[in-house]
Amino acid sequence: MSEGLNYKFLVDTFFIALSGVPITLFITVVALLFALPLGFLLALTRINRIPVLHRFAQVYVSFVRGTPIIIQIFIVYSSVPLLLSSLFTKFNIGMNVYDVNPIWYAFIVFSFNTTAVLIEVFRSALSTVNRGQLEAAQSVGLTDVQAYRRIIIPQALVVAMPNICTATVNLIKATSLGYAMSLQEITLKAKVAANVGYNYVEAYIDIFLVYLLLCSAVEYAFKLYEKRLSKYKPSVV
Amino acid sequence: MLEIKDVYKSFGKTEILKGVDVTIDKGDVVVILGPSGSGKTTLLRCINFLEKADQGRAVFGDIDVNLGTATKKQIHQIRQKIAFVFQSNNLFNNKTALENVTEGLVIGRKVPKEEAVKIGKKALDKVGLTDKYDAYPSELSGGQQQRVGIARAVALNPDIILFDEPTSALDPELVGEVLTVMKNIAREGTTMLVVTHEMDFAKDVANKVIFMDGGVIVEEGTPHEIFVNPKEERTQKFLKRVLPEDFTYHI
Ligand SMILES: Nc1ncnc2c1ncn2[C@@H]1O[C@H](COP(=O)(O)OP(=O)(O)O)[C@@H](O)[C@H]1O
Ligand SMILES: [Mg+2]
Repeated sequence: MSEGLNYKFLVDTFFIALSGVPITLFITVVALLFALPLGFLLALTRINRIPVLHRFAQVYVSFVRGTPIIIQIFIVYSSVPLLLSSLFTKFNIGMNVYDVNPIWYAFIVFSFNTTAVLIEVFRSALSTVNRGQLEAAQSVGLTDVQAYRRIIIPQALVVAMPNICTATVNLIKATSLGYAMSLQEITLKAKVAANVGYNYVEAYIDIFLVYLLLCSAVEYAFKLYEKRLSKYKPSVV
Repeated sequence: MLEIKDVYKSFGKTEILKGVDVTIDKGDVVVILGPSGSGKTTLLRCINFLEKADQGRAVFGDIDVNLGTATKKQIHQIRQKIAFVFQSNNLFNNKTALENVTEGLVIGRKVPKEEAVKIGKKALDKVGLTDKYDAYPSELSGGQQQRVGIARAVALNPDIILFDEPTSALDPELVGEVLTVMKNIAREGTTMLVVTHEMDFAKDVANKVIFMDGGVIVEEGTPHEIFVNPKEERTQKFLKRVLPEDFTYHI
């Protein structure tokens, strides 16, 4: 049984796994583009206790964060097609629900999931910016929008950045669950390759390495950006 | 020039301001004294709409606004005329000293950038921070920060500057430099409404002293009237408690 690692397979599959990176990044970017603005706006409703919306955001966060992503994936992946197919029949759309590219389900799950994470990230970051900053801005004649854009958001962003980085890395890792929706990302591609000759150990090592490289690169990019952002706090990193 | 009339303000069930009137003429330096919790900060905040009064009016030249129901536009109008120096300075942490001073000019008052920089540098020079234009607040001492706060207010060339205990958050050895700056701008004719516990400043610089207690103005008058011949018992008690043994009033 112990024939050692199949090095050729290890190398070949590494590149197969690597070919899943664009899909992973695509989902990550789409989810962030959706979740960053929405999470920020909902965080504002939380901070400023906007009626209804701030409750909604609170309940939303506890629902999404209180359930495993894999369950959210199963729910979206099984209920959305049912919903769609009844819509398709109703409006006589001649399209098969099972032709829908699973990446759409991934967009939905990961966008909504990341929004919940970022609401909390932005909420805690905004609450670190002293109320006096807004008042000082108002007193020199800035509107609230100008005060947020020029004074409060830049400061909150510096505080939020390490947590946004963590959220992004978690998101990248979570996309590996996309294999449950037969999404052609890193994990599924390598596993499929392994199925042929049962080279699972090699495949898992490759998956491991690809995620490690990807996440390290993303973390490094964030660190560079953080450094640039926080130029006004020379004492803090 | 500025008349504040009949200001009422409650937080929840507690009434903090119970009908306060203040009149300030151009060039006046009015000092508000009073024990902590008497509503001095709340009064200044209501004047600048950082707090919404329950009732009250501000008459500012030809502008007459209700402090409780002013529109956004009126609030903006009034704020163009008033600058505020905060107890804890509230400098913009993400801006340099110079940017702190120019922010309100460029964004709030639409002054061209170059002109704003010129005005800003002059204001910082005036408070003795010529070498600190590009320093961030975190790189400045408490006294320097507060002087930037004053420069930020002065640069706006407001009709009046409100000071809320500008020295009380400072280490004792830093108080002097801030008071000196305040004296200088007072001497230049700046209209000021100052809440402070610095009795020497009140005595030497103010032309009117107001004693507030329990949300009302107990007594007001010239420094001489308040410090030498206070009429009200509450004023006498307060002064006895806060004035240093060696405090003397020279005319
Ligand atoms: N935002 C607020 N909410 C509730 N109570 C407040 C608030 N601001 C001030 N107060 C209360 O109002 C009273 C007067 O406060 P303040 O105006 O700061 O007094 P002073 O500046 O004279 O010390 C205090 O008892 C304080 O606790
Ligand atoms: Mg106070």
